[in-house]
Amino acid sequence: MTIFNSINTTASALTAQRLRMDVISSNMANVDTTRGRLVNGEWEPYTRKQVVFQEQEGSFTSHLNAARGNTSNQAGGVKVSRIVEDETPFEMVYDPENPEADETGYVRMPNVDPLREMVDLMSASRSYEANVTVLNASKSMLMKTLEIGK
Amino acid sequence: MEPLSFSAVSSALPLSKTAANSKATSVANTQNSFASFLKESINNVNQAQNESDVLTNKLARGENVDLSQVMIASQKASITMQATLEIRNKAVEAYQEIMRMSV
Repeated sequence: MTIFNSINTTASALTAQRLRMDVISSNMANVDTTRGRLVNGEWEPYTRKQVVFQEQEGSFTSHLNAARGNTSNQAGGVKVSRIVEDETPFEMVYDPENPEADETGYVRMPNVDPLREMVDLMSASRSYEANVTVLNASKSMLMKTLEIGK
Repeated sequence: MEPLSFSAVSSALPLSKTAANSKATSVANTQNSFASFLKESINNVNQAQNESDVLTNKLARGENVDLSQVMIASQKASITMQATLEIRNKAVEAYQEIMRMSV
């Protein structure tokens, strides 16, 4: 329905930010995980994951309208196109007591920086709040419209 | 601001005589199209309510649904319901206005 365009757009943003939050929580939970993935019989630490946002393709109707010269409804939502792994090298920590330590006493730790994750977390939750505000404003506009002529 | 002009109305007036023959059918047509439009709109509202119901049930059963989706579906249902109520109020108001006519 066309009156819900802005709400649908905001809904896509809420879903995307939710997924981002899931990925951040996964990074935070695995900050000390030394056995993330088995590569050639050898354990590799957890690799930090990141989401990639992409603008959502408009619906067929919106493309048709654009082709006919109508400028209305060009608004597109957002979607997570993929989840990529951070390529930065693993952190080497000297800890000979650790059962995962190699012959030289170093342990390979995940490339997750908790500080950075916290900042990302704040960013995600603020973005979520902003989108909820947009949704509420959109709803109150619709409700105000219903008051016309009262 | 443009001054009011009745050119559109007056140009339509000569047509009204020829249209008079098909007046009965056109009224019936209008009533029909209005009825189908109303029916369709109410079906849409009902669909929104059902969608919200299904999502709420899924959430209650612990299935994999986004809480935001559930909330948004319920908000959509609420807005369409309010719009329907407003339209009903207007229709009833118009009916009562007609019934108050002194004869």
